[in-house]
Amino acid sequence: MQISIKKSMKKFVLFTIFVLTLSSCKKETDFVYEVNDVQVSKDKIGKGIPKTTVEFISIAYSDLVGSTISQNDLSRVTLLYLAFGDKRLIEDLLIKNIVNSPIVNIPTEELMRNDITLFINNTYLKLFNREPNEVELFTLRKQISEDANITPKLVYYSMMTSDEYRYY
Amino acid sequence: MSTFIPRRNFLKKTAIAAAGAFVAPYILPGGRLFAATGNRIANHVVFCLFAGGIRNIESVGQERGNLLPSILGGAGTVDPLIASGMDLLPVTPGNSLRSQGTLFRQFRYAQGPTGHFNGHSTALTGNYTLQDLSIKEPPKMPTVFEYYRKHSSPAQNALNAWWVANSLGPYPSLNFSSYPGYGALYGANFVQPLTLISTDGANALSNPITLSSDEIFRVNEMRNNFNASFSKSGIYGDNDVVNSLADRDLLQNYIKQQLLDAVAGAFNNPWGAGAAMNDDMYNVFFAEKIIEQFKPELLVVNMQGVDIAHSNFTQYCNNLRKADFAVGHLWQTIQNTPGMANDTILIVAPEHGRNLVPNTILDNFGQPALDHTSDETSREIFCMVVGPQGKVQQNQIVTQITGESIDIVPTIARILGFDQDIPGGMLPGRILNEALV
Repeated sequence: MQISIKKSMKKFVLFTIFVLTLSSCKKETDFVYEVNDVQVSKDKIGKGIPKTTVEFISIAYSDLVGSTISQNDLSRVTLLYLAFGDKRLIEDLLIKNIVNSPIVNIPTEELMRNDITLFINNTYLKLFNREPNEVELFTLRKQISEDANITPKLVYYSMMTSDEYRYY
Repeated sequence: MSTFIPRRNFLKKTAIAAAGAFVAPYILPGGRLFAATGNRIANHVVFCLFAGGIRNIESVGQERGNLLPSILGGAGTVDPLIASGMDLLPVTPGNSLRSQGTLFRQFRYAQGPTGHFNGHSTALTGNYTLQDLSIKEPPKMPTVFEYYRKHSSPAQNALNAWWVANSLGPYPSLNFSSYPGYGALYGANFVQPLTLISTDGANALSNPITLSSDEIFRVNEMRNNFNASFSKSGIYGDNDVVNSLADRDLLQNYIKQQLLDAVAGAFNNPWGAGAAMNDDMYNVFFAEKIIEQFKPELLVVNMQGVDIAHSNFTQYCNNLRKADFAVGHLWQTIQNTPGMANDTILIVAPEHGRNLVPNTILDNFGQPALDHTSDETSREIFCMVVGPQGKVQQNQIVTQITGESIDIVPTIARILGFDQDIPGGMLPGRILNEALV
């Protein structure tokens, strides 16, 4: 009786392996929908060169203040960068400071709310040096229009501390 | 003859085999499950690179008087020939470090050029820099910070590992190496306080926009959407130490507070030393601030004011006394910091010595200056290991030639309990067991 159960188990295991092997070797079917193949990639933006420290500081200052940073100030801030290991932390702190500075030149809340699409397009062009795609425009427009507490400063700060802003 | 395996047994063995298959990849070569940090001697190590190039002749040799009263104890009597060139310093309270630990009088920086960066690299990597040392690149061998963060279990964040340097130049690159499998991911938080906590720092960084938790949530939501469209985020993490968002907030608040305190004048005369307070003392002062705020498990701080010896011997002696005062103050701060008191081992060592034969430059007191060009005297240094009773041998002086610069990293690893987890062959030095209980 015991030997009989063992033989049955053996047959069952062999059968299972056989069925699994057959099903796993099934040929894939290629469906053709008569449209051109599109390679989907996150890198369609085409930016691949990281900004140097000096570039990052001078571009950020220019984007937020609307004028060029002086050579002396650039040298001083560059040294501050070198004095702390976590560069992203210093960048974040630097942008938080410029955004909070009285010399900052960011569109007003009223201007943003009057024409959110224009604000988004202009901000993308200014900070990311490109136009937003449809998805980006839709998403940010939805966020701004549905949330009265999103200010231009928050949008600027978010974009300037994103990964894309670190590249050109 | 057939063998019968009961069903219960079969299932049991299968379950054990399956569990083994899942667990096996996590078993270390040493046979331990995960990198077990255990058997620590103490939970904190502070390593003070008493750097800049110091001869044993002036330090533990006391040829110009007792220039190290905090470390060696006794009165700070100074050679009359240079006494008038020395600044007055307050008395460091407490017992001498020597009475609270082990002094290796004849330590050695045995190989490699006696350059400051070579010496720093050696002390922090546990490997001599015999060739190919580039001052523009991270070290080739892992630093003590990377060993600590990679092999400690549970894993330690960068808030627990600090490299506090008194100058820029090549020194920022010593917080992590280019060694495969280590690197920035395991690096220390580097800071050079004298540049960061400054008027320029206050102007650029002390007035950040304050965001409420709701605003932070909104910012993160928008930023996540921006990042979703862009895949290149590797610039951070590959090249720089990265703190978690929560730790970043702590650090930003800390930096901001230091800047505001500096602007308010809180750091004008913090130790009562008046005009005698030099850059080395300020660097140690800011290291103390980090100790008080974050209670790190591993902190390395350096001083280099004695390098003025290239042109001014008396100021070299003056700065040596100031470095001694700073170390004494550092130890007092550690003992006054809950969480670190009685649970910290302090290691003090110069990165290298100085030549026996002086150069031709005389100072105002007629004393000839000293360079460091790899003669035998410039390889002679000392090392002091200080700590609580029961952890460190007290009041002990090792007089024969014992110990090298490359022994400091293995000793730190032993104190913090991860020495067994460092792969073999990476550290040629040994643990300074003479100092440990």
